[in-house]
Amino acid sequence: MSAVQEPGLTEGLSVQSHAGFLRSVLRERKAAVVGLGIIAFFVVLSVVAPLVVPYSPNAQTCAVFAPPSARHWFGCDDGGIDLLSEIMQGGRISLLIGFTATVVSMILGGGIGIVSGYFGGWVDVTFMRIVDYLLVIPDLAFAMVISEVWGPSVFHVIVVIGILEWSGTARVIRAQVMSVKERVYVKRARAVGAGNGRVIFRHILPQVGPLLIANTVLTIAVAIYLETALAFLGLEDPSTTTWGTILEHAFARAAVSAGAWWAIVPDGIAITLLIMGCFLFGQAIEDALNPRLKVAHLSIRRWTLRTLVGGAAGMGVRPLVGRGPDAI
Amino acid sequence: MRRTMRLPAGLVAIALLAAACSGGGGSTSAGSSGGVKNGGTLRIGTASGIDSLNPFVAQQQDAYSTFEYIYPFLVQYDTNNLQFTGDFATRWNESADGLTWTFHTHPNAKWSDGQPLTANDAAWTLNTILKFSNGPTGNSAGMLAHVKSVTAPDANTLVITYQKPVANVLSNLQQVAILPEHVWQQYATGKGTGLRTYNNQPTPGHPVVSGGPFVLVSYTPKQIALFQRNPNFYGRKPHIDGFGLQYFANDDAMITALKSHQIDAVETVPVTSVATLKAAGLHVYVGPGLEFHDFIINANPKKTTHRELLNPLVREAFEYAINRQQIVKTAWLGYAQPGASIVPPGTGAWSDPSVTPLPFDIQKANQLLDQAGYKRGPNGIRIADGHPMSYQVIFPNDEAGAGDRAFQIIQAGFQQIGVQLQQRPMDDTAAFNAISAPNSTYQTFDLAMWDWVPLEDPDFILSVLTCSQYGNWSDSGYCNPAYDKLYQEQGVAVNPKARQQLVYQMQQMIYNARPYIVLNYQDVIDAWWNNWTGFVESNQNFFNPLSKQSLTEVHQT
Amino acid sequence: MRGADYVIKRAGFAVLTIFVAITINFFLFRVLPGNAVADLSRVPRATPQLRHALEVEFGLDKPKWEQYLIYLKQLAHGNMGVSYATQQPVSTLLANDLKNTIPMVAVGTIAAILIGVLTGILSAWRRGSALDHLSTNLAIAFYAFPTQFLGLMLLILFASVLPTSGMMNPFVLGPESLWARLKDIGAHMILPALTVCLTLYGEFTLIMRSSMLETLGEDYVLTARAKGLPDRKIVSRHALRNALLPIATVVAISLGWIVGGAILVEFIFTWPGIGWAMWQAIYQRDYPMLQGGFLVLAVSVIVLNFIADLAYFRLDPRIKE
Repeated sequence: MSAVQEPGLTEGLSVQSHAGFLRSVLRERKAAVVGLGIIAFFVVLSVVAPLVVPYSPNAQTCAVFAPPSARHWFGCDDGGIDLLSEIMQGGRISLLIGFTATVVSMILGGGIGIVSGYFGGWVDVTFMRIVDYLLVIPDLAFAMVISEVWGPSVFHVIVVIGILEWSGTARVIRAQVMSVKERVYVKRARAVGAGNGRVIFRHILPQVGPLLIANTVLTIAVAIYLETALAFLGLEDPSTTTWGTILEHAFARAAVSAGAWWAIVPDGIAITLLIMGCFLFGQAIEDALNPRLKVAHLSIRRWTLRTLVGGAAGMGVRPLVGRGPDAI
Repeated sequence: MRRTMRLPAGLVAIALLAAACSGGGGSTSAGSSGGVKNGGTLRIGTASGIDSLNPFVAQQQDAYSTFEYIYPFLVQYDTNNLQFTGDFATRWNESADGLTWTFHTHPNAKWSDGQPLTANDAAWTLNTILKFSNGPTGNSAGMLAHVKSVTAPDANTLVITYQKPVANVLSNLQQVAILPEHVWQQYATGKGTGLRTYNNQPTPGHPVVSGGPFVLVSYTPKQIALFQRNPNFYGRKPHIDGFGLQYFANDDAMITALKSHQIDAVETVPVTSVATLKAAGLHVYVGPGLEFHDFIINANPKKTTHRELLNPLVREAFEYAINRQQIVKTAWLGYAQPGASIVPPGTGAWSDPSVTPLPFDIQKANQLLDQAGYKRGPNGIRIADGHPMSYQVIFPNDEAGAGDRAFQIIQAGFQQIGVQLQQRPMDDTAAFNAISAPNSTYQTFDLAMWDWVPLEDPDFILSVLTCSQYGNWSDSGYCNPAYDKLYQEQGVAVNPKARQQLVYQMQQMIYNARPYIVLNYQDVIDAWWNNWTGFVESNQNFFNPLSKQSLTEVHQT
Repeated sequence: MRGADYVIKRAGFAVLTIFVAITINFFLFRVLPGNAVADLSRVPRATPQLRHALEVEFGLDKPKWEQYLIYLKQLAHGNMGVSYATQQPVSTLLANDLKNTIPMVAVGTIAAILIGVLTGILSAWRRGSALDHLSTNLAIAFYAFPTQFLGLMLLILFASVLPTSGMMNPFVLGPESLWARLKDIGAHMILPALTVCLTLYGEFTLIMRSSMLETLGEDYVLTARAKGLPDRKIVSRHALRNALLPIATVVAISLGWIVGGAILVEFIFTWPGIGWAMWQAIYQRDYPMLQGGFLVLAVSVIVLNFIADLAYFRLDPRIKE
């Protein structure tokens, strides 16, 4: 059943499985390859970081704010720590935060979206009011308060981001589930006595799966973005090295006026690249899911990119998953 | 980035209320080249800022420095010799029993609005503080401890009588701004809540009614305060026409503005910027400061967990394992002095020179812990009473930045003696909460890091360690009746020599008990462009709440 | 009647959401550890009486639910309370912060919208061209830039050319012409507003481009083309109007966020706005300021969402109730 193509979702794609679908996305879209490549690069770098870092990422090996040199390619920070090593090590934690927070938000958002959309009624109303609240409160301000409540730590940052980011996902998934549930084969399955659990897992989940994947990759970008922002505002554990705290330390110790641009630039570029990678990859999947972008009557070549506009007219339309203007 | 909140709400108050400090040798008239050129507006940058213009609300140092320049004070410090000198009071005397103090004030003085400024204003201010001391004026009440009555027998005389002799009368009164009665009396009615809600801000055409060398003419919260010379001032007139205090949210923006001539001078330069500023041709002042950073070991004898920390051998070993030189070098880039006493040398004669830090000696530290019987476990961490010697260090936001680096150095040292430390960062309020938990009994916390900004007079910093400060200023849980007794004695010791001996004794007591391992005293660093000179520096920067000297003397070259 | 029902239902949801926001806000800040009075009463020789007096003054001696009811009652009278830190009315303080925030963020956002919409349309129109690639990739890059990184880069690059902090040259004693003052504020606004604009515009480009592409895929565009209409006419007469429909919603909502300020930008450039005020309030445990700030943010977003809903409803006849 999972391979049945339903209008409006994966129409126009002939895929047999999610893996096959992803393969076809990668084959057809250069952006997806680039995006996945960037993500893979950083993941591999993080895995091997402890083996290849040239110096200790937390002990002093050079002078305070020493400029880049043959020995220290990216220079040194305000504690005399080699920045290249620190960025490699920091990437590990930043990626860990990004991925884990995303998993938390996907489980929460996907779960609540499915339950809300499938059951409707008061369950739906309750969840959607909470979603509304989270959508109208600026992420960063909210995260600041929560981080204050619990105190700064990596674990708390993960939970905060997870809590913040599920609402957008829940909304998108809910809309999808509501439409899937009205389809003939789902109705038929229920008519022949399939239980709710079975219907959700056998029929609904496979249908919203690709959308969930696209959402996941985009959320990773937002999670990493939020982590750096929270760290910048001093709400991350300062004893942990992440891309966010590297930037924060540099700023707190007046790197700009000390002329130590190297304490800021390489780290910022790493963050930017990873977010771009996630965006390119996630967007490519989403585009593949939207058949309307395949045709254009003006020009012939296909090279598409599009952002996800939630359920159109709902209260919570938000430009992109998670990151609205509130993130500035 | 945390400069604004650098001093915890609480500690901020210290610095400020405590403003009674003047640099131990910190006063330098910078540069004497060129003649005095009158006029001009001095543009000062600060990353700290004025939090309120109401003396009953304000906590930040810049607010108190502002009061110093717009209000009369009975006395002020002469930062050249650390002695008290006249301000609104030209001379004063105390009775033989030390209970009655008589101040003779400037005759024919006027507020900036032309109203007479007399001893009656001073009497009214002090009496109002006393009247509402358990509420609206609570933040100033401590300065009038043990005051029985305040009267103004005539327009130029103020008499204060005390219930018992008080050793630091002048240092207390130096911190109390005299307010214009004709402006403030309307708020001192009922429960006096109006005294706190009055914002005391200037509006166009209506400057704050001032009695100091400057008038506050315009103020935009979180942006700027502008001052103009007060033609009605009773004392010596400043050289400059006025000055402005611009607020910056972060050090980087402030230093950038200084370098690009958007401002002329900056107070409290981050250590990482000193080299660039010098290279850019600015005058950088570095001098001894009062602020010290300390490593706190819970000293509450009733502590319920990890009681091995109360063992004097452990506490001594910890001090041997701290590399102060390295902290000064890396965290402070050399702009700090290693130290051991809670009364900083910057206070001059009150600091006991015999209290000196132990050397960094890992071997000795290990030896002491071995002697205490805490053997190393399989992973190299020592075991005490059945549990590994692994502790969380409460780390308030205040200490972030240089403190993070200091922590890393301490952590590395402790690792070599088989003690594991984890940094537990939190904001200042939460940190104080965690230290004093549960319910201000100090039973659970182990270690912490924080800082203090003591005053010129040692009374305040000594009081912090008394038993009565549980739940208030105490951040160590230290409580020792013998110490409290000495504290009471120094408070009434009107003979300075006798008091000095008591103060020395208390410093030694604290050093030996080690509720704090004092790490270092932070230097005061200010910077200005060379076309300005005449700043009178102090251990509270050039714009300070100690005296009216600095901005009276400053001028263009 | 279709319209009236829809409006009432939407308005109902908006009001309900505001109420939820008020309630969550209230309790959110009450779970913070430590208390404001402990801070304020930590002055030399403070007495227990002082602490108690402050608790009574702030109403903190009462149980939480009672404080909540009092808060609701105050709000009903338009009273947002008094800031613990400065003892000034929250509404005055917030109004002042908003007055500073709105122009800067609005300039940045509106510029972002204009640039985004224009580049988006061009990209879709010239789909696959070098121009499209350049514009789309730039948009993605700026979208990916962390705001604080972008801000710091601009700070490094323009420190010696443009004012880097504050809203105006504050050291002006004496009168100054309005024009000079505006010019001064404008110069100070460039860097923060530019940061806001660059951070946001990429998003609008991407949305506009895909919305336009979707429209260009519609049958009526094919029909128009078959009729021999030139591209420019197809775009301007037919496609643009429909493609702007989704962007209108996004714009309305973005405008709602303007009030939210820009915490990171205000922080880097010392812009005395509401985002920065919130940051300070958190560190000072200034509950009334936080509650007030969060309420203003929530209400502005909810109201603009409501307007967006109505606009969309009017513009798009396909929407059912």
